[in-house]
Order: sequence, then structure tokens, then C-alpha cells
Amino acid sequence: MTVLPILKSATLAAVLLASTAVFASAKDVTISVWSGGSGPNDNYRTDAFDIAADILEREAAIRGQQLNIIVQKTPYSGWEDFKQALTLAAEAKKAPNIVATGHEDIGPWAQAGLIVPVEKFIDLDSWPISDIYPNLMEITSFNGSVYGIPQDAESRPFFFWKPYMKAIGYSDADIEALPAKVEKGEYTLKNVLEDAKKMQDKGLVQAGYGFYPRTNNGPDYWQFYTSFGGVMEEEGKLVFDKAAMKRTYQYFADLVKAGVTKKNHVGMPGDQWWKEVATGKAGIWHGGTWHYARLVNQEGLKDFFTNVQFTLVPGGEGGKANTLTHPLAYLLMAGHTEEESQIAADLIKIASEPRINALHAIKSAHLGISPSETKVDLYAADRWASEATERLLPHANAMPNNADFGKYWTIMWKNFEASWTGAKTADAAVNDAEAELKSTLGAAIIIR
Amino acid sequence: MIAPAAVMIFLFFLMPVVLTAIFAMTNMTTATGISGGAWQVTQGAINRLKADMPDLAGGIAEPRFVIDEEGLAALEALKLKAGFSTELRASHMGEVFPSRREAERMIKALKDRPSTREVKQISDLFNRSVLNTRFETRDGLMASLKKLGFTLTPAEQETVATATYTGWVWTTENFRIIGNSPDMAQIFLNTAFYVSVTLLLFNVSYALFLAITTHYMPASTASIFRAIWLLPRITPVVIYVLMWKWLTWDSGFISMFMGQFGYPAKNYLLDSAYNAWFFVILINGFIGASMGMLVFSSAIKAIPQTQFHASEVDGASRWQQVRHVILPQLRWPILFVTCYQTLSLLASFNEILLSTRGGPGRATEVWSLAAYHTALNNYTGNLEYGLGAAMALVLVVVGIVLSLIYLRIFRYDTLISKPLIED
Repeated sequence: MTVLPILKSATLAAVLLASTAVFASAKDVTISVWSGGSGPNDNYRTDAFDIAADILEREAAIRGQQLNIIVQKTPYSGWEDFKQALTLAAEAKKAPNIVATGHEDIGPWAQAGLIVPVEKFIDLDSWPISDIYPNLMEITSFNGSVYGIPQDAESRPFFFWKPYMKAIGYSDADIEALPAKVEKGEYTLKNVLEDAKKMQDKGLVQAGYGFYPRTNNGPDYWQFYTSFGGVMEEEGKLVFDKAAMKRTYQYFADLVKAGVTKKNHVGMPGDQWWKEVATGKAGIWHGGTWHYARLVNQEGLKDFFTNVQFTLVPGGEGGKANTLTHPLAYLLMAGHTEEESQIAADLIKIASEPRINALHAIKSAHLGISPSETKVDLYAADRWASEATERLLPHANAMPNNADFGKYWTIMWKNFEASWTGAKTADAAVNDAEAELKSTLGAAIIIR
Repeated sequence: MIAPAAVMIFLFFLMPVVLTAIFAMTNMTTATGISGGAWQVTQGAINRLKADMPDLAGGIAEPRFVIDEEGLAALEALKLKAGFSTELRASHMGEVFPSRREAERMIKALKDRPSTREVKQISDLFNRSVLNTRFETRDGLMASLKKLGFTLTPAEQETVATATYTGWVWTTENFRIIGNSPDMAQIFLNTAFYVSVTLLLFNVSYALFLAITTHYMPASTASIFRAIWLLPRITPVVIYVLMWKWLTWDSGFISMFMGQFGYPAKNYLLDSAYNAWFFVILINGFIGASMGMLVFSSAIKAIPQTQFHASEVDGASRWQQVRHVILPQLRWPILFVTCYQTLSLLASFNEILLSTRGGPGRATEVWSLAAYHTALNNYTGNLEYGLGAAMALVLVVVGIVLSLIYLRIFRYDTLISKPLIED
């Protein structure tokens, strides 16, 4: 009588054991993905990995392996907190597997050994990587290795509120021809100041709303330096062009002096800026291609093309019209097993396929990373993506990947802000910047 | 019984200071990492070497991959597929590639199709240059240079190691930067202004005013007033500062109110450096005043009532009571509040970070906020741990010096000496 229960429980145990054995053969891998500067329209920076994981799991299943990928997504809306969290996590050996960040982080992070070259795990000659624009791949390279796979591209246009342009005397044809005039250097930053002033004098916009720039530090401000003839890097060495930087600082001081830009503009609440720009409170402003998505999706500017014209950043004295592309890249963080990194790399590769990347490009109004992406229906049918790609991308340059660029940037911006707010004259700001660059970077920067 | 106290002091007071001091003597940044570095011949390193060792710099500036017997032997030892080495030996022996990419393209095309990771493993074996290779040890780099035919003297090795090291090094550079930078001087002045004005106007004077006026009120009214003045302190700081922002923003209360009189809306908080200081000092002062108020109120309570009665009998006015009865007996609390609040104002920056972020144009950037921005939080992601720690260390020194001065001014020794009357 006692044999049966023993037999029963033994069978049960055997079944349980066997079932765990089956589970054990299925492999669970957790891949964590962080992304910086990711607002509500940028969810595909991390969500793309859900799709990629699904595909990779299916591919594994066909090969007869059971792979179970758990994707942990951590998007950050800002940059400062993201970079702080990420660098400290990495120093504490708690880095995520994949991170989507600005390409300028590649320099310092590679030097510190926080990231590993992505080409260690991805064959660069294989599709879809081979199809990515070569200049973008160049931007994600450092010290002869490809560290990241470009995640998106963009460029940063000037925007003009059409009704006000008309009110100060531009005809429809003039407005239509503006992008070409800017490109040829016939419409410059000087004209921007004049037109902004006209809009204010006519009472179309309030004082300080004629030219309404970005409200905080950003790559955008390097565009003005380029417009005034500045160069950021030459042959691996940073360059500080005093005259160009002075013209840049002076331009913003002049904007304030003319009353077309507020002297306390930097640091104003971002939400307020968006609302004002979308409702025609500002005359001329600048931003990125992705602004289109926010203006149309979140801020309710449905008839964008009727109201807004966009151009390159106009040239200034000593320079020419330009725009800056600031691609984000998927990087592989160090400190994980080769196997995990390989899976992470495979996921990046799948997420870079045209159809998946187009989801991000179109939803967030960024630009595509490869020629074939522009042929995906979703992308091809989007007026903004195609016009912006054509008008802006050929003129785009990028910030250098240089481990010391962050220090340069911090010093450049600090003095930019000081001359803008009137705390220093443009002359003093340039001299202070020069002194500090000399003492912190020494021979690593060319000052001229 | 001294042991637990000593351990606590060591762990929570001395250790942070010691660690700050250690960090302050390094050039640690995001790029150098915290845990140490490697040796890598990058383009930047070659630029640095050009002046001292032009021959070496020229000789190692180009990548070079060679299919040779040595590499093949190493490949065989790896025990990957045998076909790799057989095919390389048969069809590619002696080939030279000017870049890794080209060498790997050839390896990739081998009939046995190595995986991406195997391609890297194989190409490493045929790398006959040091450019861009990351060496975990200094000896590794020197051994590779030797293999390439560069035999270096110990002094030359030192130069090469210094130029190629990616990690942090000991340095006193941070203090030179702090000493020479005009911005640092400005931040120092900002801090002195902020601490002294907030301290004098609010943390001490206004707190005294509150304590004395509530002393002369009926008990219940007094406690209502004190409770109101405690609100800024007990409100979570983020919410407290947010309320100030609502008050001062372009679309905030002040703008709306002034709009009634025809003034255009503006951001009162960041309108000018004066405005920013005005609000920063109010925001901090209202929090700081409550602590002084509590300390002084209780100290006034501790004064025997008989002294007030006696002074009233003598016909003393309120002002004379304050001047001759209250203030002399508040010396010790005033010393405490002054000293404590100086240190806390020097070190605290959360209200400024949340309200002006140091703006406009870094006008309200104080020392501790600047140290935080430098070491832990900036847009460019270039965290300068070493420089930030040096700035924090300056703060520690300033704090200690100020405390010593206060103790002198308020004659601490007489405050704690035994009363003569009971001897």
C-alpha cells in the first residue's frame, strides 16, 4: 500500500525535474538599453529592440536554439542626468549593454575603456551596415575603430514664420526662394537681425521674440561659430578661432542690444518656448529637424508648411551657410560577457535595418541613416523627411570626436552665456575663454 | 567609549575629506576613467611624441598588417579551424595590408568563413603595428615596440608611456587652474556675496527679529507665526522652489499682476543678475530664517522671567530690554547659528540649482554648485572629477578657516570656561 504513493511522488518528481531541464535549455538573456535625450516621439530608440529581439529569437528558433531575450529599456528625456547616470553606472561596473547617445561621447568613453568597438562584433561589410551613409560611419569612428552604429541623423535648420515674413514685405515667391538665397550666402545672419527687428517694430511679435533661439546649451551654438568662419578641429587637434568666436559672441550681444532676443533667454522654461514657437509668438528661430515632430504632434501646429519656412543656418562674416548633424549612435558598453555583447550587437544590427529605423526617423522627424531607408514607403511618403534630407543634409558637418572636446565646449558655452547676458563683453569673453583653454588644454588646442 | 565616536568621525567626516583630497590631486575625468588606464598609441599620442621622438612617432604612425610565419604559428596555436592557416599560408603569405579593414576583408573571404569575432582574433595576430592597439600593461606596449625594432632607453620608455597613457595621473594642476581662472575668481566673489548677505539679512538678523517679536506676542499667536515661518523648511525643496518659479516666470503670478498695469510679461527670476540674486537670497533666506528663529526663541525662553520683570520695574523700554537683557544672553546661540549657517550656506546649492541653475549667464553660480557642475553634471558629459574635487577641497578649507575665525571673534574660550561664581 505504501509503494503506490512513493511511486506517485517519484514520478511527479521526475516529471518536475524533466520540465526544469527543458526550461534550463532555453536561454534567458537580459539586454539593457539606455538612451539619452529621448522625448515622447523618440520611443523607437529603445522600442526598436523589442522588434529586433523578436526577430533574433525567431532566427535562433529556426537554427534550433531556444533564445529568450528580455529587453530592459531606460530612456532619459534629458542629457545631463543621463550622462551623469551612465558614466557613474559604468564606473561602478553596472553599465547597460547598449546605449544610444550623441557621437561626441565616443571620444572620452573610448579612452576610458567604457565602450568597446562595435566592429569587434559586427561585420561592417554586411547588410544593413554596409548601406549606412559613409560620412555617418565616419562620425561614429574614433582612433581607427568603428565604435558605434549611427542610430539617426538630423540637421538643424532656421525657421521663419511665414505670415510675419509676408507682413514685412516678402512675397510668396521671395519666401519660396529663401532657402536658395541662404545657401548662396545672399541672406545672412545680418538679415536675420534686421528682419527680426522689422517684425518687432511692426508690432507683429513682442520685444525679444524677433529671433528666438534655443533655450539651453546645445550643439546648435557651434553652427553660429561655423557661420562666422570658425573650425572646430583640424587633423585631430581642436581649433579655437578667436576672431570667429568673437564675431559669434558679438552677434548674440548685438541681438540683445537690438532688443530682438532676450538677454535672459537662456534658462527659460522649455515648455513655454515650444508653445510660443508653435503659436506664432516668435518670428525667426532655430532648432532641429525633430522639432517638426514635436510642433506637429505635441504642440498642435497642424499646418506646418503653410506657416513655416526652413533654411540652412545663414552664413555670417567670414563663413558660410551650414547646418550641423548630431547623430546618435548605438554603442556597446564594456563589462559584459562576449556572448551577451554578441547578442546586443546582433540586436543593434537588426534595429538598423531600413524599415525598423524608419519607424524612429519618421515618428521623431529625424533623418534616415541609409539610402535604402529613404525608399521605405513610410519614409518616402513623408514630406518633411524628404524635403529636409534634400535641403539640409548635404551641407551638414558634425562636432569632432575628440576626448577633449567636452572641456572645450564647456568653456566655449560658459563664455557664450556670459557675453549673451551682458555679464562680459564679447572681447572679455573671448579672452577669458582663450586663457582658460590655454591653461586646461595646453598644446591639445590650436588657438589663432 | 571613545572608539565608536572615533569610528563614526573617521567614516563619515574624515573619509570623505580624505577621498576628496586624494581626487583633488589627480586629473581624473570621464575620459581618464576612475579605475585606471591603458596604454594606447593614438593619433593624439603621436602628436605629443613628435616633438621629443620624431623617429619613433614617424615609425609607428601607420597601421600595418603582414601575413607572416609568426602570425601563422600563433594562429595554429589558437586551434580555430585548420583551413584558415592552410589557406593563408598557401595564398596570402607575405601580403601586407595598410589598414585593419583591408586585412579583415581578406580574412573574411577565406573559404571557411570565419565569424566576425574570429576575424578579429585572426587579424590581431598579424598586426605588425602598435597604432590604436590598447595595451593593458606598459610592458605589453614596450614589448610590442621592441618587436617592431624600437629599443628604447628607460628615459625614452618613460616619455612614450606618459604620452600614450589613457588613465589619470597625480598632479597639482587643478589648483593652478583654480588660482588662474578669472571665472573661478568670479565664482568665489559670488559665493562670498551670497553667503554673507543671506546670513546677515536672513539667517541671523531676520531670525532674531522673528524670535524677539514673537517673544512679545501672546503664546498662541506666537506659535502661529512661528509655524508659518517653518513652512519653507518643511515643504519639500523641489515643490518650494517650483512655487517660486510659478511666481516669477514669464507666465507667472508677478507677470500676470504687472500685466494689469500694462507691463509686458517677463521672467522676473532670470531677468537680470540683480533679480536672480534677489530671488536666490529670498528663497534661501526664508528657509534659513526658521532655524535661527527656533534657536533664538528657545534661548530667549531660557532667560529667567525675573530679569524682564526687574527691567520693567526699572522702566526699561522694549528696545532697552532687547539691547541689555536679550542680546547679551544670545551670544552663544548667535555664534552657533552664524557658524552653522555659514557652513551650510557654503555647502548647499540645491535651491540655486533648482531655481536659476546658476544663471543668468552664470551670475548666481556659487562655489559648491560650480563644483557639482564640474565634477558630476554637465551637458557635454565631460565630468571632471579631479578639478571638481579640488574645488570641493577649497570649500572644506574655507569652512575650517571661517569656523576658527568665528570662534576667535565670539571668544569661545570664555563661553565655555567655568563660571567664576561657583568656584
